[in-house]
Amino acid sequence: MSKLLEIRGLRARIANGREVLKGIDLDVAAGEVHAIMGPNGAGKSTLSSVLAGKPGYEVTGGTVRYLGQDLLAMPADERAREGVFLAFQYPVEIPGVNNMYFLRAALNAGRRQRGQAELDAQQFLKAVRDRLKLLDIGDDLLRRAVNVGFSGGEKKRNEIFQMAMLEPKLAILDETDSGLDIDALRAVSDGVNRLRDPARAIVMITHYQRLLDYIVPDRVHVLADGRIVASGDKTFAAELERTGYAYLGDAA
Amino acid sequence: MLMTDDSAPFRDTFDQLLATVAEPAWLTTRRRAEMDRFALLGFPTRRQEAWRFTDLEPLIAAPPLPAHPLPAAGGDDGPAPASLAPWLLPVPTHRLVLVDGRFAPALSAGGALPAGVWLASAAETLRRRPDMLERAFGEGEEAFAALNAALFTDGVVLALEPGVVLETPVEIIHHTRSAAHARLHIALGAGAQAMVVETAIGTGTGWSNTVGVITLGAGATLTHLHIQAEDPAACHTTAVRAVLADQARYETCTLITGGRLSRRDVAVTLAGDGAQFRLHGAYLLDGGQEATLSVRANHLGLGCRTEEVVKGVLAGASHGVFLGTVAVAPSADGTDARQLNRNLLLSPQARVDTKPELEILADDVKCSHGATVGSLDEASLFYLQARGIDPDAARRMLVEAFAVDAIDAAGLPDALAALARRHLRRWLDGGAS
Repeated sequence: MSKLLEIRGLRARIANGREVLKGIDLDVAAGEVHAIMGPNGAGKSTLSSVLAGKPGYEVTGGTVRYLGQDLLAMPADERAREGVFLAFQYPVEIPGVNNMYFLRAALNAGRRQRGQAELDAQQFLKAVRDRLKLLDIGDDLLRRAVNVGFSGGEKKRNEIFQMAMLEPKLAILDETDSGLDIDALRAVSDGVNRLRDPARAIVMITHYQRLLDYIVPDRVHVLADGRIVASGDKTFAAELERTGYAYLGDAA
Repeated sequence: MLMTDDSAPFRDTFDQLLATVAEPAWLTTRRRAEMDRFALLGFPTRRQEAWRFTDLEPLIAAPPLPAHPLPAAGGDDGPAPASLAPWLLPVPTHRLVLVDGRFAPALSAGGALPAGVWLASAAETLRRRPDMLERAFGEGEEAFAALNAALFTDGVVLALEPGVVLETPVEIIHHTRSAAHARLHIALGAGAQAMVVETAIGTGTGWSNTVGVITLGAGATLTHLHIQAEDPAACHTTAVRAVLADQARYETCTLITGGRLSRRDVAVTLAGDGAQFRLHGAYLLDGGQEATLSVRANHLGLGCRTEEVVKGVLAGASHGVFLGTVAVAPSADGTDARQLNRNLLLSPQARVDTKPELEILADDVKCSHGATVGSLDEASLFYLQARGIDPDAARRMLVEAFAVDAIDAAGLPDALAALARRHLRRWLDGGAS
């Protein structure tokens, strides 16, 4: 299988701060779902931020190749247009920017990059309806400003809805399960499962094994102190649940 | 005796004006008094508190003078009609165009007026109903208003008899190339309603100095959209004075994007009980532009309301100023007044001065005021970019969201809101990032 994402020796720090990633190696192929787990402070969110190109981090070593290209050389917006999607742990509220307006701008930016014709209002609406149906969510979120006044569950659903619209090749879900009650978790997980695709890779970052009951990964990795210290298949998650991360501290 | 006061550059123009116009004696007397008053006051200086943040030097150094001799009415080579198209409301209107402060009939389209409506140029009003004009001059004017009263050549007069509702908006275009001292008089009888859109545009280093005098009878409502989109090299000064009777409503939205130097003074007296004043607006500036929006609400009546929401967007090395005063007289119990001024600085060279104030002499009042100054939210910018939107488009989106709120919150009728939004987008497309 061809490698969609190849991370080699990735080291990064918070700008002018301490080093958080201390040599990450990770390969993700199209069609795979990977879970990255680990204790607080291990570097999970830093990894997703660095991959998405969030300002405030400095890469101090290593490489990230995405579809053979140097991902780290691209600005954040270009990465997104090339098919990298970050589902935010804390989706940002943007008063005054309508959700639909925003999403159409995002979708058409990606289409322009790929040399596709932009969707007009009608085509866009049709695409919206199709995805809403696929994810089984109502259209009330769409009339509001981006994430403004959304509950925690609504924000996470909106992230997954955006993912469905933008059809990324690589989706990074950063603690998508955090702050969700069991119903919301189920709804969001169902959405993600429906977006599994042979052409798409999904990297889930989570603190809790619970999410993996709903979205069953192909590979599970444990991140501790800035390195991946253990990897396994889906049964590995259950093992971790029993033993905790403690023993891995020794391994790291 | 040699006059060396600030009125000196205007004296020739003034003398020629008096020699060429045929006016009632009261008006000539009034003009002379106002010219003397301006000579006495001179241009405001930064030593005056209300003018502390405003740099009038570009204007004082070489004040543009009205073109002379005055062109005959209608014989003027005004702007091409097509050039006005982007500024017009997308619905039928009563349109009056003023070119350099003079009514230009060829560019105007007054349309048929319903009974009980007077709408005409100031010059025509002076010929046919001089009493209407005479009423609208006040004593003790500020410097710019005094100069306007001395030098004005024309303007617009709108008067509605009690109970008359004018459904069609009145659209006034001020097109200035040299200098304009126009007057706008609006008098609505009890229960009357009107919508007025004023757009100030022009070319080159002109100066538009307008005075608006508004009286609203009991229960009357005036909706007033003001778009100041002068040439970036121009100067613009306006003073609006409104007096509201019982239950009257003055709802105004002002968008300021033009001019090198711009100052809009709005003074509203809520004289009757239960009157309401709502002002929304934004100043959007770039390059070396400076604009001041100064708003004073004088609460005299019982249970009156004032609501002001003003947004500032400052790019380049521009300078924005908001001065807001709510003065509550001892008689004005039950006053409810809110002032909010929020500013977005888009560059390290941009500046803003904001000064919302309260002067409260009554006991039973609810007043709040606030001001904020910030820059674009980095988290929002990243969120938009993380969805593929390039940084310029992301900034534009956030600036538009910030500013459009001032239009949305004004609750304008659809056609007026559409015009205001169109202008906001034009500004966003034209430049600042």
